[in-house]
Amino acid sequence: MTKEELQALTVGKSVDARGTACPGPLLEAKKAIATINSGDIMEILSADEGTKKDIPKWANKKGHEFLGIVEEPGYYKIYMKKK
Amino acid sequence: MCLALFSGALDKLTAAGVILSGAAADDMDIDVYVLLQAARAFKKEIALNKDEIKLAENSHLREEFIDSLKKLNVKEWQDFFKEVKEITNAKFHICGLAGKIWGGETLDDFIDITDDIVGISEYITAAEEADIHLFI
Repeated sequence: MTKEELQALTVGKSVDARGTACPGPLLEAKKAIATINSGDIMEILSADEGTKKDIPKWANKKGHEFLGIVEEPGYYKIYMKKK
Repeated sequence: MCLALFSGALDKLTAAGVILSGAAADDMDIDVYVLLQAARAFKKEIALNKDEIKLAENSHLREEFIDSLKKLNVKEWQDFFKEVKEITNAKFHICGLAGKIWGGETLDDFIDITDDIVGISEYITAAEEADIHLFI
């Protein structure tokens, strides 16, 4: 998806994990995904460089759909759809 | 996942916490066998006295290491282990011999994340059955 498409998504859950280092964002995502419905979009905000690879890998392994990443000044927004 | 946790050093316990967190995020069942030096770290009077837990390497950088963990908002090792237990089916087993070496005879002698005190056969069986087997 393009940056514009990602930014236009209706986000069902936003997880702000910018205050944590690995594995904080992954665990925050893991906990939050349990609180949303199948098909809902979740965004994870992270300032941790490793999270850019960590979350997509985890999401795909668990059967969720990784949608893309938007780079913001000093952090990333990572988008995924719950299976 | 089966983890033989031998080390009672702060850096290695922290590494174990990070790895177990990844396994928990993947919904893995986890069995941790707390062996010699780790069993000492799991004793209540040791775990609660942070000065008793050293670094395995670069011991002169202990304060710098602790400061960095705080700045990065990284959990302390016991909190990693507690969170892992909240997320997935994780059990912490104290090696009976290791416990006795450090004066730990009963479950009450160890921090509250500890599930039981076991013999070596339990560990060997879990290691045989696990898809991932690590030693720290």
